[in-house]
Amino acid sequence: MKGSGLALFGVGLMGGIPAFLAEAVASDKILRPYKRRRVMVCIFQRGAMDGLMAVTPFTDTYFQAARPTLRLASVAAGRTNPVIDLDGRWGLHPGMKAFEPFFKDGRLAIVQGIGSPNNTRSHFDAQDYMESGTPFNKGTSSGWLNRAVGLLGHDALTPFSAVSLTSALPRSFYGDNPSLAIANLQDFVLQPKGNPPPAGVAARSFEELYDQASARLLRETGKESFEAMKLLQQADVANYRPAAGVVYPASQLGNAMRQIAQLIKMDVGLEVAFTESNGWDTHFNQGTDNGIFARSVTDLSNSIAAFWQDLEAYQDDVTVMTMTEFGRTVHQNGTGGTDHGRASCNFILGNGVDGGKVHGDVATLAIENLEDRRDLPVTTDFRSVFSAVADAHLQISNDKVLFPDWSGKKAAVMKV
Amino acid sequence: MKAVLKIFGVLVAAMGGYVLLSSFLAGTLPMRGTQLGPALRLPWRQAGLTERQAAAHLLSRFTYGAMPGQVDAVVKMGLENWFAQQLAAQDPDDSLEQILSRYDALELSNEQVAEIYPRNGQVIRMAIRDGVVDKDSVKADRVAYRQVIRQYMEEKGYKRQQELFRQFFCQKILRAAYSENQLQEVMTDFWFNHFNVSLTKNDCAEFIPAYERDVIRPNALGRFNELLLKTAKSPAMLYYLDNFSSSGPARDTAQKRARGLNENYAREVMELHTLGVDGGYTQQDVTEAARVLTGWGVRLREDGDFFFNANRHDQGEKVVMGHVFPAGGGYEEGVDLLNMLAHHPSTAKFICHKIAVRFVNDDPPATLVDKMANTFLEKNGDIRQVLITMVSAPEFWSAGALREKTKSPFELAIGAVRSLHATIDQPMQLYNWVTRMGEREYYYQAPTGFPDKGAYWINTGSLLSRMNFGLALAAGRIPGVRVDLLALNHGHEPENARAALLIYGHLILPERNLDATVKRLTPMLNERDSTMTTAAVEGDPMLAQVVGIIIGSPEYQRR
Repeated sequence: MKGSGLALFGVGLMGGIPAFLAEAVASDKILRPYKRRRVMVCIFQRGAMDGLMAVTPFTDTYFQAARPTLRLASVAAGRTNPVIDLDGRWGLHPGMKAFEPFFKDGRLAIVQGIGSPNNTRSHFDAQDYMESGTPFNKGTSSGWLNRAVGLLGHDALTPFSAVSLTSALPRSFYGDNPSLAIANLQDFVLQPKGNPPPAGVAARSFEELYDQASARLLRETGKESFEAMKLLQQADVANYRPAAGVVYPASQLGNAMRQIAQLIKMDVGLEVAFTESNGWDTHFNQGTDNGIFARSVTDLSNSIAAFWQDLEAYQDDVTVMTMTEFGRTVHQNGTGGTDHGRASCNFILGNGVDGGKVHGDVATLAIENLEDRRDLPVTTDFRSVFSAVADAHLQISNDKVLFPDWSGKKAAVMKV
Repeated sequence: MKAVLKIFGVLVAAMGGYVLLSSFLAGTLPMRGTQLGPALRLPWRQAGLTERQAAAHLLSRFTYGAMPGQVDAVVKMGLENWFAQQLAAQDPDDSLEQILSRYDALELSNEQVAEIYPRNGQVIRMAIRDGVVDKDSVKADRVAYRQVIRQYMEEKGYKRQQELFRQFFCQKILRAAYSENQLQEVMTDFWFNHFNVSLTKNDCAEFIPAYERDVIRPNALGRFNELLLKTAKSPAMLYYLDNFSSSGPARDTAQKRARGLNENYAREVMELHTLGVDGGYTQQDVTEAARVLTGWGVRLREDGDFFFNANRHDQGEKVVMGHVFPAGGGYEEGVDLLNMLAHHPSTAKFICHKIAVRFVNDDPPATLVDKMANTFLEKNGDIRQVLITMVSAPEFWSAGALREKTKSPFELAIGAVRSLHATIDQPMQLYNWVTRMGEREYYYQAPTGFPDKGAYWINTGSLLSRMNFGLALAAGRIPGVRVDLLALNHGHEPENARAALLIYGHLILPERNLDATVKRLTPMLNERDSTMTTAAVEGDPMLAQVVGIIIGSPEYQRR
């Protein structure tokens, strides 16, 4: 294990290392691969979440008029499952009650009115722009999280520096810095099923061959692969047991979050993690305190809450951030749903977060305050939030690389 | 004798390949409109290669992998002849066509696709309109709801869009594995990736099968400017890069919401399709080019889906890269613009570099790219001529080119199927394996297409998947794909694992030096032989394991 880390570090040495690293080497504070690292976890909610139903302006009469049937009951109405009053103006969807204690403790921040300066209402384009981090340039070949990995100030120390718990590499991870997409850690083995005995022969044969491969790329990656595989085998990923009392939702997201927690607790050098949640494109039968949307927010908040509790002593190292490509129309449509809009909201959880607040500068939903007289306007550029989190949590301050073409101010969502 | 063969090859080439090819093609004229021009000579001997090594190199570059015995076949036919035949791309493909005829969606027009395979959202809207689904059923029972929708689709004759895409994936795999015209398939893949569109974007997804079929494949070995123009006019590209929505300024306030310039396509056509990012254009040129291309839209019809809407076209004068497009140029000025881009020296360099990356190595020599770019400019963007210049250059045959490319997951999977003469009954499991190895075909989101370099394909997760793929394929554990390993060796069972490694190593990796591989593996294979008898287990796990190890080996990951 250590061999790999040192070997990789050796490569970094040959490429010339920054001065602070040389100092670290001299002072024996070398960045060891297998130690606790700070981790930024990003969750992309694909399909565009109705931010006004997740975090709802429950006293806004314009909103009530725009959503005659598609809104949540307020506490005053005396119905069961009312919204959770956050600050007298904004209310959390009751499906997200798992978030309530985090908000009250000041570790969960909400940004209402977040979105992109590009007003496209195409899922594809908006996701593409948000993940590339360049809202007016399609040709950007890299994703913002891949650039973030490049800005960590040191070479990727292990294959697990940047991991996406998805079947394909997400747009956010495109780029030249090492990153890994894997839907299931248990697949990180040779001959996962039905292998004829003796299984070890194939594995050892491959190891032997890759060790001697003449192509450096294959030789080095092969070495890493086998070490990573053994590491996961040692950790017995298949039989992972979360912290006492923690139950992850039996959903795709819950499963992904559980695996991210596993990687964090294994100290394998994870620094940027990504996964996604689907089903937010609620044009039809969106539901209120019950229904499609309610199920989605419950899954989202329960997955994140389980993850957080599971982290236990690692909570200081981790910040979780959600994102979605845009919001939805203020008005409900004719089919019990909402159509593509502009701004939505997002959630940031961590001990360094300036939490317990709904950030953003959102006016009442009077029609003259809306973008194109129909949508919640974007008052916070997503880049100002993403860069603030990356900077405060991972000390990534080079915004020119992280978000080229952007020169705005960071949002005050993290503690100073 | 060899000199005689060479002269013969030159002669054949000088005659446009016609004399020899006619015997294959029952009199149809190959390579219509182009001549092979200067004699086709492949300088492999100067590079110190044997003829068999040269044939193996050709096969590794211009096919999805050599099948057992194919090196011999190419040598017998003559390397120049084989390449000329691949350039002509008119070999009969009867057995492939017969397999493809089982798929009923492959020949549909975009109009028919829109009628038969509506998008999911559209179906629900229609169901609501027809009163089949209650729009207010907020707490709808999901199972019952789905059943109603399914029944509605059946009654209306609608099919799920995913079925259209499934057939589309299958045809790609089957053509790559079985087409005689391998170069055409390789170039189809190359140009699709160059002019990438993506199934991740719903607006363009339904048009993508016809895009590959009608725009890319027929022009994959044609002229670059035609390919460029046809992609520009295709619904898939018009929707993927939003040019369908781009229009000139509004003439009154009523038009205001639906009007406006969209620069996406104009930018990418310069940056990614033609000139390259450093190709010498400015932001102002992008905006002006976008104005030139306004009014380009889609109207699905039987005789073509492109529609120029003069009302949405910006009628004013534009200047792109110093070239003046006078006011009132209409549709034609867009064609002129694309032709101008297609013939620009920056484009010649950019495209030829990309072709060399695909066929030579990840960092091709500038001398080679220059030669190809000269041909590109002299021969009016004739892709065949560019390929001829490439294979005629010593750089193509140099040590720096041999086995230097890392197979993409698709190339690995299809190559393995070809290496083992496997029979594909159901291609979808192969598609899923390729996805797992890191290449979800037709779903690359960005207009750049998949990066064509080894470092992109090889990472810790994907490498293990490649090894697992080899083991699974050889063991017959990929449903829908049959392998008969013994048949490859004419029914003879190797005596032991070492013998299996030698025999199958040379079948699967022709003309490669396997000494090191054999030496490294021998101790382990001996151990294997001593711990079990092959008779104890159904089939022949020893042989399957050895073949699986060959396919998962580092040597097999390269081409």
